[in-house]
Amino acid sequence: MGLQISIRESGDITILDLRGRSTIDSGESELLSQHLQKLVANGVRKVLLNLIELKQVDSSGVSIIVRTYVSLKRQGGDLGLLCPGGRVLEVFRVLHLLNTIPTFENEAQALASFRPRGHSATS
Amino acid sequence: MTTPCSSAVAPTAQKTALLVASGGDVDELLTNVLASEGWSIQRVVDNQHILALARAKPFDLIVTGRETRVAEDVELLRKIRSARPHVRLIILTDKFTPGDVISAMREGAFSYFSAPFAASEVAEMVRAAMAEPCWDDGIEVLSGTPAWFSLTARCDLATANRLVQFLHGVRDPSISEAEKDQVISAFREILINAMEHGAHFDPSQHVEISFIRARRAIACRVKDPGKGFSLEELRHAAVGSSPEDLFSHATVRDEQGMRPGGFGILLAKKLVDELIYNEKGNEVVLVKYLDPPQSSALNQRHQ
Repeated sequence: MGLQISIRESGDITILDLRGRSTIDSGESELLSQHLQKLVANGVRKVLLNLIELKQVDSSGVSIIVRTYVSLKRQGGDLGLLCPGGRVLEVFRVLHLLNTIPTFENEAQALASFRPRGHSATS
Repeated sequence: MTTPCSSAVAPTAQKTALLVASGGDVDELLTNVLASEGWSIQRVVDNQHILALARAKPFDLIVTGRETRVAEDVELLRKIRSARPHVRLIILTDKFTPGDVISAMREGAFSYFSAPFAASEVAEMVRAAMAEPCWDDGIEVLSGTPAWFSLTARCDLATANRLVQFLHGVRDPSISEAEKDQVISAFREILINAMEHGAHFDPSQHVEISFIRARRAIACRVKDPGKGFSLEELRHAAVGSSPEDLFSHATVRDEQGMRPGGFGILLAKKLVDELIYNEKGNEVVLVKYLDPPQSSALNQRHQ
């Protein structure tokens, strides 16, 4: 299964479609980390992680997402989660991360949420 | 105990796989995975044909058919390994009993899938089998009954993954799949922590593990060979963060130049009911209580 990452853009928002799993097993989480670090280093400040096709996440995957979220918030950016389900939703739920990291059930709603936040982030 | 892996097939030789037809998407997917890596594939219609072929020539990987009982697969494996100790044999089965997983581990199966299972998961394990040059002393069953089994696991991720798949193969109708997933996920986090922090993924080191199935609970003990730690001093882990600031450990990790992490113990703690460390901090017991069906709803209201 591994992890497949597709990257697309909607305005100044970068969307990562994740498919497979983000675990420590065969370096999947490390792959996600590399992609996110590269994006942030290149100036991306608004990231939406589309988790609808992500089947499994472990603490290594969660840690990458949290680190990126914290890093983006420090730089006036933001990170959101789109459609976590099944085991992935369970992991985010039990860790109470859904209370902190904005999570959405449809993409349009997720994209809209970035715009007002982006304007107010520098205030 | 098997002989060292150095006697296995040379890396440059073409690898060969023997597959028993299972039907459906399993056959197609395995063929694609093996062919894409240049493996030679031989097919047989049932397990009866495996032994003669495996005795006549070495196969690097054998995948059984799902129609056979596990007891027969394990007996077959025992006979093959007496001549070919490093063969990687993956058991697929629709016909199993609660003790079959332990038998399969004890006899040195590479992996074990009991129905229902996804073809993609089998394909992934086949990829792991193809990539593992030295694997067959990774898991050693020390004692085993369906209610209590103990084993050691070599401190590497490939062995951890194999062990976790064996656990997924356990079918117990009295445990819901959701509860089983929670226990396995928690165990996996603790196991990888033990291998990483207790042994730095040193494959010469081993973790000790026991599983106990009581009538109303599942318990799992993991002991690593490390010097231990104190939960109270664990500032770089989320379990040491205040609930109001779950991310403060991330700052500590950044300051200390550590890789992203720190959610393993917290996640394990949330997925089971109790996580109990010994004084030294190198031994932990996970406990998951299993509610009787009639009281499940009441207990959920209390959570």
